[in-house]
Amino acid sequence: MTRVGLLLGLAVIATAPLWVWNPYQLHTLIMAGIFAVLALSLNLLLGYTGQLSLGHAAFFGIGAYATGLLTVKLEWSPWIGLLASAVLPAIAGYVIGRLALKLRGAYFVLLTISFAGCVSLVSVNWMDLTNGPLGIPGVPPVEIALPGLPALSLRTKAAYYYLVLAGVALAYLVCLALIRSRVGRALVALRENETLAASVGIDATHYLVLAALISAGMAGFAGGLYAHYTRFVSPEVFLFTYTVTMVIMVVAGGKGTLAGPVVGAVLFTVLPEALRAATSWQWQMLLYGVLLLVVLFCMPAGIVPTLRGARLRGRTS
Amino acid sequence: MDQLLQHLLNGLLLGATYSLLGIGLTLVFGLMNVVNFAHGEFYTLGAYAAFAALTLSSVNFFLAIPVAIVVGALAGAICERCLLRPMRGQSIDTVMLVMIAVWIAMQNAELLGWGGVAKSVPTPFSTQPLVLGAVSVAPLRVFVFVISGLLILGAHLLLARTKLGRAMRATFQDHETAALMGVSIERIHTITFAFGAGLAAAAGALLGPVFLLYPSMGDLASLKAFSVVILGGLGNFAGAALGGLVLGVAEELGAGYVSSGYRDAVGFLMIVAVLLLRPSGLFARAERVG
Amino acid sequence: MKRAIRALSLALASALAMWTPSAHAQDAVKIGVIEPLSGPVAASGNYVRMGAEIARDWINAKGGVLGRKIDLLIEDNKSDPKEAATAAEKLIVRDKVPVIMGAWGSSMTLAAMPKLEEYGVPMVVETSSAATITKRGNPWIFRISPPSEMEALGLEKYLKDFGIKQADFLAVNTDWGRGSVGAFGDLLKRSGASVGAVEYMDQAATDMNAQITKVKAGSADTLFLTTSVEQITLVLKQAQEQRLTRKVITTGGSSSPSQLIKQAGAAAEGSYHILFFLPWFPEAMPDGKLAKAFVDEWAKRGHPFEGLTEGFRGHDGVLTAVEGIRIAGKAEPKAVQAALWNVNVMGLNGPIKFEKDGPAGKESGQSKPSIFIVQVKDGKIALPAFAAKK
Repeated sequence: MTRVGLLLGLAVIATAPLWVWNPYQLHTLIMAGIFAVLALSLNLLLGYTGQLSLGHAAFFGIGAYATGLLTVKLEWSPWIGLLASAVLPAIAGYVIGRLALKLRGAYFVLLTISFAGCVSLVSVNWMDLTNGPLGIPGVPPVEIALPGLPALSLRTKAAYYYLVLAGVALAYLVCLALIRSRVGRALVALRENETLAASVGIDATHYLVLAALISAGMAGFAGGLYAHYTRFVSPEVFLFTYTVTMVIMVVAGGKGTLAGPVVGAVLFTVLPEALRAATSWQWQMLLYGVLLLVVLFCMPAGIVPTLRGARLRGRTS
Repeated sequence: MDQLLQHLLNGLLLGATYSLLGIGLTLVFGLMNVVNFAHGEFYTLGAYAAFAALTLSSVNFFLAIPVAIVVGALAGAICERCLLRPMRGQSIDTVMLVMIAVWIAMQNAELLGWGGVAKSVPTPFSTQPLVLGAVSVAPLRVFVFVISGLLILGAHLLLARTKLGRAMRATFQDHETAALMGVSIERIHTITFAFGAGLAAAAGALLGPVFLLYPSMGDLASLKAFSVVILGGLGNFAGAALGGLVLGVAEELGAGYVSSGYRDAVGFLMIVAVLLLRPSGLFARAERVG
Repeated sequence: MKRAIRALSLALASALAMWTPSAHAQDAVKIGVIEPLSGPVAASGNYVRMGAEIARDWINAKGGVLGRKIDLLIEDNKSDPKEAATAAEKLIVRDKVPVIMGAWGSSMTLAAMPKLEEYGVPMVVETSSAATITKRGNPWIFRISPPSEMEALGLEKYLKDFGIKQADFLAVNTDWGRGSVGAFGDLLKRSGASVGAVEYMDQAATDMNAQITKVKAGSADTLFLTTSVEQITLVLKQAQEQRLTRKVITTGGSSSPSQLIKQAGAAAEGSYHILFFLPWFPEAMPDGKLAKAFVDEWAKRGHPFEGLTEGFRGHDGVLTAVEGIRIAGKAEPKAVQAALWNVNVMGLNGPIKFEKDGPAGKESGQSKPSIFIVQVKDGKIALPAFAAKK
């Protein structure tokens, strides 16, 4: 059952552009994929180190602007843009991590909010660099240009879906490798009991900064994917609602697991769209809030952990 | 010089409003450890409640404020009883998410109920400004400043001098011992949250007439409240009051002398500085609640 | 890992199952509408929606278009470009609309533009003011609102009457505010006046005292104010509190002077407002009868009078879109796009006819709307003496 289930699941996901019956739903899946990468990145910090960053939209935005500026103003290749969209926020994450990770809990949260606020203001006011509120339109689509073959522009939805899918897989694998390594074990030790971990020689700041760096880079990469898909970058990428959405996906999906954020991302991207189709604009977000409460009350530990727990109980009974 | 005086006056008046926003949250966030993203929504609720009382039932302006406080406190109590109490054992993030859901639901309900058009609240004060030498100020804002001060003082006295206040402080310092001493923990949680919500609603009722009423007015309020709480130190009442004033003056001077576009950045940078250099808050004393 | 894939597929399947194919009346012609119906500019977005609904009902009462009724599919862009793009996608792909009207804010419109090009569907832009919208080379854009540069030109003929020597600017920190500062600043410099302080305010800000104190300390004689009515109310009230005695000119057409008088009272006295519709003097509009009928219908529906200065945009947008469908002869996007170039219709603001704007071969359509100025005098709206003459 499990092997067949696994293959079936993989087949479903891999062939989505064929059976998803209209491009609008494919669009939703692509956005879900981008948010999945974002949720995985936030989960690294929140789920595995226990520190909540409410400024992750800043890394997302820096990534989007990095690739937007490089590909539009300097006309570099979008692949370099995507690389920059991961590297530049990672550097920012390192700096913030070094500064902030002496703090814990609520203080860390507020520092991240302030950081995001500052970055947002810079993007709106520094017109010469970012074009301010007018944004950067015309971000080029990603192209695969192998020597000797004609350039394959990833302009179509199906092509972009596979790019985003590859991005999600990459992010997932990076997280998986990290969690299974010594670094991952150190992070979990820190989350469970920092004093004890420190007493056996685990340098909290070093590992937390590493997690922050990777987390920021991943969030920025999601921003790069977003920029090349929507082809327009504006200061609204720093909107707090992006951070809130990320947090909902991670916590409701199940933090501290790897499947949780992905499930959360898909569910909470598809849900508003399903509501948009099912109800009028007045009720869409109100129902969203109510449904969120329902999910939280039924599955307070998160969707994936609750389902796993139910399965385990089912097995032993 | 005149410009500087006016900026300082502006800053103090603005800061008083920030203080009022912060003290309610510092109780809930500082004592109960609940990241209350819906704090701004209780502020909005208070503003609309006062508006409703004034326009729908022609209540006297000065009575509308207590009405708003009662409405806010009730809403807070219901929220605590029905949503937070069942979630008591859950992680801080899950509770935070519950408050986010409340935030989304409340704001969209306001939008649905009142519509997106901004409303202005009629006040009995003249719009002619009071002129004090080189600076001028509207009588309404002086009123708001005075009432804010009284509310902050009153809340402080309640916490510091009354039996209820002692029970609240005891509960959040040490649950088990407080329970052993006969304090009803459940009731104290509900009362504390209601208290915080009531203060937010008071801020809304006071500030609604100064500005305008619209469903998303609480978003900015929440953000400023969190900033004030950090500046003053979690759970530090006097700190929040002073922190609000500091934030208001800093923002005003930053906008006046540095750049109006980066105005909010002043607040953020101050928070960053405080967090890195003095995380327990600018005004931390040896004895802290919670 | 297996659990992840299974959970994921389950979530996917159940979520997709929630969708049903679009179930609208098969014979109605659908027009998409994307506006900010929640968030800080919810009022403006809703006024445009109300105007659009009046246009829909009038058109349907006259038999609709091509023998079919029209149906407005209204989406909320929540002042978020991502939402605007998603709403456009949904309207085009799921609902198969032949034409869209939207998306109010320039960032929202710019975000939706790639979708228009991807699927080949025209959009009537009813409010956005950023110049780039029609200069980007997107042949699916047809704008009936004036870019800031055109608005500034509309003011040019009155400049001498205003007698401006130096003006300060206070604008909302968005593309609209910044574009306005640029356009009117250039106008002033061209005419020999100078620009004083340039201050901005965040879209959600409520306290502008710092900016006002700074403006007061300068020596300008005029203040240009570009933002929506809520912030204008606050600025005027706070300016009154600080005893700022400048000539105030608001730009952008979102100042809703009636609401200003109601909410700012004496603080609004003497201020000038650039508008694109005059609900107080419908007879003075290019089509007086149509304007009067619109004002009356708006009142009949119980909509606030203050919203008329923005609601007309919804009406003119839908009118333009429907005219495009009528000329095309079918509700098909490419035909409608070609037909929009031949539209020549009288809207509430004035004649709507598109001229080419932007790079050759990929021009967008830009109409030349009428620009008006009013003044608040003795607590009422009046045409300034110099404007009434011309």
